[in-house]
Amino acid sequence: MNAERSSTLSAAGLVGPATLYVGIGLLVPLAILLRYSLNQFVPGKFMVDALTVENYVKFFTDGYYIAVLLRTVRIALITTIICLLMGFPLAYVLARTRTRYKTLLIMLVVLPLFIGNAVRAAGWMVAFGNKGVLNASLMGLGVVSEPLEIMFTEGAVIIGITAVNLPFMVLTLQSVIEGIDRSVEEAAFNLGATPLRMAYRVLFPLAMPGVLAGTILTFILAMNAYATPVLLGGPRFQMMGPLVYGQFVQQNNWPFGGAISFILMIATLVLTLAANMLVQRRYREAAV
Amino acid sequence: MARLELNHLSKRYGDNAVVAGVTLDVADGEFLVLLGPSGCGKTTTLRMIAGFVEPSGGSAYIGGVDVTYLRPWRRNTGMVFQSYALFPHMTVAENVAFGLEMRKLSKTEVVARSREALRLVRLEGYADRLPRQLSGGQQQRVALARVLAIRPDVLLLDEPLSNLDAKLREEVRIEIRELQRQLGLTTIMVTHDQEEALIVADRLVVMSEGKIRQIGTQRDLYERPADRFVAGFVGRSTVLQGRVIAPGQFETAGGLALQCRDGAPGKAALVLRPERIALGVANGMDNRLSGTVEFVSYLGDAIELHVRLSPADRVVVQLANRGETTVPAVGDAVDIGWQRDAGLIFAE
Repeated sequence: MNAERSSTLSAAGLVGPATLYVGIGLLVPLAILLRYSLNQFVPGKFMVDALTVENYVKFFTDGYYIAVLLRTVRIALITTIICLLMGFPLAYVLARTRTRYKTLLIMLVVLPLFIGNAVRAAGWMVAFGNKGVLNASLMGLGVVSEPLEIMFTEGAVIIGITAVNLPFMVLTLQSVIEGIDRSVEEAAFNLGATPLRMAYRVLFPLAMPGVLAGTILTFILAMNAYATPVLLGGPRFQMMGPLVYGQFVQQNNWPFGGAISFILMIATLVLTLAANMLVQRRYREAAV
Repeated sequence: MARLELNHLSKRYGDNAVVAGVTLDVADGEFLVLLGPSGCGKTTTLRMIAGFVEPSGGSAYIGGVDVTYLRPWRRNTGMVFQSYALFPHMTVAENVAFGLEMRKLSKTEVVARSREALRLVRLEGYADRLPRQLSGGQQQRVALARVLAIRPDVLLLDEPLSNLDAKLREEVRIEIRELQRQLGLTTIMVTHDQEEALIVADRLVVMSEGKIRQIGTQRDLYERPADRFVAGFVGRSTVLQGRVIAPGQFETAGGLALQCRDGAPGKAALVLRPERIALGVANGMDNRLSGTVEFVSYLGDAIELHVRLSPADRVVVQLANRGETTVPAVGDAVDIGWQRDAGLIFAE
């Protein structure tokens, strides 16, 4: 009895601090935000206590906001797919290499994370702007007569978010692929599978937990991207993250900002869960 | 089912020759065992036959076809891995069908041959299980069924029994041998376990440091080991250091004069099999010695005595346990003896 109780106590001690932190740091503000999102915004009077869904109705009846949501989802999906397609082969090589420089290679993947999004995006503005290094060089060499429109396009935002998220995808996949017994791949080859068929029938299904985790991680990051769309997308380009910020800080419209926050969160959650369920059904028997 | 030939097959990593020129001719339907300590190159040799390791030199032929640089999926070898390497996300039936599907066989043929393979390993009732729901021995049999289904030219077994417990290992090795014989499969097995090797093999290849030390039957290796390494690796042996002073005469480091087989004069080792040394019955023996028992091991079916013959010489004597009531104890004086031909001479 005593031993049982002390182990319960020590378990509480281990789980407690993080739980408390998340509880106070996340759930409480979230609850407050939810409450705000049901309030009314009266220009000049800031926030008025109420219990109304008009902020949500406003979002879903205005084509502009729906377009922002759809654009955000689209960009998040595209960047996640690019990350997966580029990340999987890289993660595979990293996981399977036997070179002694492996640690160095992994460091190189992690290195971009040492530079904040904002700093990196600022660097790109310098490099890819109309008067930036790339366009100046191309025009100086006479390759193009007009500067290339790179900055302030959806393409620039996609490139930017992909670059930020790729390391997360690679690291997640690499650790999962490393856990797959190499001889399972060899067994597939031995039984007559070409590398492509091996990857499709054996490697990919076994790496599915990593694919799922990496996809969810990069998708959530992309849905909530802030600095990259602001800096690379320019003032007229809107995604959900900057939109929330704008409502809170520039418009002082906390109820609507809160509502957008919740719509963003729910959309992310629903899409993630849907992907999860789809994959689980397809790879129901995936390995431990 | 095919003949396998390796000609000076070798593998180097930088300056390190892991396999230094292996030449082998394995007959159709033969069961050959590669035996040696870890790091001797036996597994690398097997992996070169399967195509997982690209040789640095030499050539390999399966059924007369040059497969030296053929990709693994282009050759028809069947490998059973030490870890079994079953596909954990597929059922037993799916595992067994995998190789057949890769060969683009018709659905009915895939089903028929999978079922046949599972019947061979007596796992018919387990088709819908996942590998993790099976015991180690059952997983091993699935791995075997998976390669039997593709009807490989050569069956490759990489330490297939090392993950099984001792009792199961004894059963499974007999099963594998019987199946192999029944199907007439050309088989190469890699192992470091000499008992296992002796039980299943038609012929054995002893390897060390990337080279073949000896190829032969169990009897060849035991009675006529090619060198000191083989003598030490196959069967128990006990060694007396010394020199051959004249043909047929050996003097130990401790100064004992012994009769031995012919050998070139000079520094040498006299290697004896412990069970060829007799206790007490000194009459009629070419070599008769007395000594003191220093250590006794009671092994059940046998009793081993470590007998000190001189300050520098000690031998191990193995007596079959026939139920004698008196067993020599530590400190007892004993007479021992052996025939001249029991001793093997290896120049040092």
